[in-house]
Amino acid sequence: MVKVAIYPPNSLILADLIERKGHTPLVLQKQIRQKIKDPEIDSPPMNITEEDPIKGLKYAAIEVPSGVRGRMSIIGPLIDEAEAAIVVDGAPYGFGCIGCARTNELSIFLLRNKDIPVLELTYPTNQDETYVMVNDVNEFIDSLEEISGEE
Amino acid sequence: MSQNLTMSPDLGKEDWDPDVITRMIFISPGAHVSEQEIVSEFHMLDLPLTIKNTCYGSMISGKSKDVYKAIEEIRKLDPNHIFTKERGFAPGDPRRCRGHRFGPREGFHQMEKEYRILGFVSEALENPKDVEVAKKEPIAVDEFKKIMNDCLESKE
Repeated sequence: MVKVAIYPPNSLILADLIERKGHTPLVLQKQIRQKIKDPEIDSPPMNITEEDPIKGLKYAAIEVPSGVRGRMSIIGPLIDEAEAAIVVDGAPYGFGCIGCARTNELSIFLLRNKDIPVLELTYPTNQDETYVMVNDVNEFIDSLEEISGEE
Repeated sequence: MSQNLTMSPDLGKEDWDPDVITRMIFISPGAHVSEQEIVSEFHMLDLPLTIKNTCYGSMISGKSKDVYKAIEEIRKLDPNHIFTKERGFAPGDPRRCRGHRFGPREGFHQMEKEYRILGFVSEALENPKDVEVAKKEPIAVDEFKKIMNDCLESKE
């Protein structure tokens, strides 16, 4: 079983396609769940505490805006855990849950630099492109099975 | 917008349990089952779950072992048209539920975008085939020049 990071990290389609093949998608919702079950935080949406930008320092320098560091404190652990990644490029505005272009860029940069297999897809706009996307994801996941099998 | 600054919810014991998870079940366009059938099937499984009927499918919440078992069973109804994803908040949580606040729920826009191509994904899973998509390439310089000159001439 391989832990696969996905981008956008709340994607239904990517997470489901990975789960169908028996692997674990690293989704943001799990991180959010951990956070809201924390008894110390009882009032989301103000659920970023002053601790979070400090945790985010692991992924971004001090000059980086605190919003990026705060977001990285939630997304960063997912990137650390990742053994493979699937990234969707060229998505329309509003696709994804981060709400911050710089965090998106930094997260994708970290995934690309991590020395793990990364599949980069283009956001599909019609049926044929969706076929290509699904085939690519399935092929990629099958290739991961071979890697994990070798280990 | 002060109404959207949500209240501290009155959470029960289950809400604080880290083992209790929530999953959303989506039915893609062209499915052979309805939302109601899915919910009835969940009830028939007789597992200790909270089940909510929604417009896109349903939502279930409970101990992770029970939730994964229920999903495994429910997928058998229509494997290529039933999709699931995690959800951070429990069903009806006042911090996210629209019954307690204004505007669309966070995450709705992403769901709306993905739902538009969900039918195509189901089709690709049901009838897998190799498809070649022609890559979009920029126009050749000579052709571009020709069009440009035509436009300029027609303007004169």
